[in-house]
Amino acid sequence: MEMLAPNIYEELQGPGQFINILVDESWNIPLRRPMSIAGANRDQLTIIYKVLGRGTKRLVTKLRGDFLNILGPIGNIFNQDKFNNHHPILIGGGIGIAPILWLHNVMKGGSFQHELIIGAKSKSDHFLKHQPSRKIYLTTDDGTLGIKGTVMRVLQQVVNQLYEPMIVACGPAEMLKVIQTFLIDINIPGQMALESYMACGLGICQGCVVELTHSHQEKHSFGEKFSLICRDGPVYDISRVRF
Amino acid sequence: MANLKVSIGGVEFNNPVFVASGTFGYGNDVSELVDVNQLGAIITKSITFHPREGNPPPRIIETPSGMLNSIGLANIGVDQFIKEMIPYYASLETKVIVNIAGSSMEEYLNVLEKVEKVGENIYGYEINVSCPNVEKGGMEFGVNSLMTRNLTELLRKRTEKLLIVKLSPNVTDITDIAKGAKEGGADAISAINTVIGMSIDISSRKSNLATKFGGLSGPAIKPIGIANVHKLSSAIQIPVIGIGGITSAEDVVEYLLAGATAVQIGTANFRDPGIGVKIIAEVDAYCDSNGYYDMSELTGALVNDS
Ligand SMILES: Cc1cc2nc3c(=O)[nH]c(=O)nc-3n(C[C@H](O)[C@H](O)[C@H](O)COP(=O)(O)OP(=O)(O)OC[C@H]3O[C@@H](n4cnc5c(N)ncnc54)[C@H](O)[C@@H]3O)c2cc1C
Ligand SMILES: Cc1cc2nc3c(=O)[nH]c(=O)nc-3n(C[C@H](O)[C@H](O)[C@H](O)COP(=O)(O)O)c2cc1C
Ligand code: FES
Repeated sequence: MEMLAPNIYEELQGPGQFINILVDESWNIPLRRPMSIAGANRDQLTIIYKVLGRGTKRLVTKLRGDFLNILGPIGNIFNQDKFNNHHPILIGGGIGIAPILWLHNVMKGGSFQHELIIGAKSKSDHFLKHQPSRKIYLTTDDGTLGIKGTVMRVLQQVVNQLYEPMIVACGPAEMLKVIQTFLIDINIPGQMALESYMACGLGICQGCVVELTHSHQEKHSFGEKFSLICRDGPVYDISRVRF
Repeated sequence: MANLKVSIGGVEFNNPVFVASGTFGYGNDVSELVDVNQLGAIITKSITFHPREGNPPPRIIETPSGMLNSIGLANIGVDQFIKEMIPYYASLETKVIVNIAGSSMEEYLNVLEKVEKVGENIYGYEINVSCPNVEKGGMEFGVNSLMTRNLTELLRKRTEKLLIVKLSPNVTDITDIAKGAKEGGADAISAINTVIGMSIDISSRKSNLATKFGGLSGPAIKPIGIANVHKLSSAIQIPVIGIGGITSAEDVVEYLLAGATAVQIGTANFRDPGIGVKIIAEVDAYCDSNGYYDMSELTGALVNDS
């Protein structure tokens, strides 16, 4: 879905950031729906989403020319400074492709070497009609498109062929968890963008927490054990999150 | 232009539209988006003595016309609150009320005393005796009239500022608890806090919240709020601040008619943190077009015909 949002574009920092969409002006759907920005220029903000439940079912009914109440940009960005002296491997699973795709395009524009792995359950779930190429790998769980298996299958191979790899991932929690375990095992750094239910996207409800790997557990603390994804995320160092 | 000013316990507020505890952070997070100075008052997130991490996720889930939450009073604790927020509040024109929660009498008292020492620009306290999301504390006081009275009395001795007791609808008789608060010296009652609720994901057969139960808020609870405010305002002679499901000026008027002197907006802030400011303008317009000059003409003006 494309939208014109010059005010949001003005404040954009980069891939990783998202917007929070009021899909229904009535209270039939009480909360906004967060969606990652999948691409942006002055005239166009792009999101890619999957129709799951009531919110996204409402969103698909919007027509060209409709007005949409959106808040944003929200959140932090993938830290591209950390890519220096590393070879980034971008991984997008399912709807997690959105911020990864934006990052991919930004890096392509800057002629920054990287690999891209896109995974989905099945051919029909693939958002992009990307052609696999030398540095782009497509996977499906059922083998109907690209390589049969999960993104892990490709990652395990690719990671060994590269000098100083660094992983950037977004996707379902189960996928991120498997990637995290794998990377910690072989001591490779990475960043990932997380999702959670959100009520406000503004840091005022305290609803969107993820548990952190907190080394010094104190009896009384705030923000050491749980982090607000909308304010401190959605991008985290891969070792910081406890699934 | 109607006179929107309201007075509670000797404190005058520019208008009757406040923002509810836990639904506006400490006020600073949204100050770039919203002119918070237009609000009648800001009620802070509940402050406890120590910082609190809160409950594990998931903490929120959408429900018909509302949401359930089990945040668990996550907050920065009174010391950091004083260090970071009191200076910010000094720069505000709107009146700030500090919401206090605790799991013992001492905790409420210790928080109040710390704020009392430094908070010249704090106009009062709202005592949360009604949070459904912590295992111990909060609710223990809020379900017991005598304990509510003792707690209020204890705090009343330590402050001359506005003292509001915030009540839960999850009790057999809310007026009984309110009487305890009044006898203890409360200046006002605010009601309602969230209503205990639960929702289940039928595919996983698990509760949608990690804590199983949560607090229901939003338009879904508005009739419960209206009923409780009406009961309270009929039963006690101190002002009642109405809370629950407010999303429009019409809702504000409805609460005033039920007997509220002022109102607080909660969940609606999550959709639009500027909703309070918009509603103030709409209340003004409503009064103009309906010939009201003062809020007191609306408070308790319910017609009892039947
Ligand atoms: C920072 C962020 C970025 C996101 N970016 C995208 C994106 O680019 N594209 C996209 O399609 N989706 C994205 N999501 C997820 C998206 O917000 C949810 O899919 C959407 O809110 C579902 O709404 P619904 O009413 O259709 O589904 P619901 O009826 O609310 O739920 C349907 C199903 O979706 C799951 N679900 C609901 N909310 C979320 C959520 N926030 N995260 C994960 N699963 C959820 C539920 O468990 C349920 O199984 C993002 C979420 C976050 C927090
Ligand atoms: C996410 C969330 C957090 C809340 N936190 C607090 C809190 O810390 N202290 C408190 O007294 N009330 C808290 N409340 C209750 C609200 O202040 C209010 O009483 C309730 O939500 C009903 O109003 P509403 O329907 O307008 O939301 C919270 C409510 C929500 C939804
Ligand atoms: S969504 Fe409300 S604090 Fe993050």
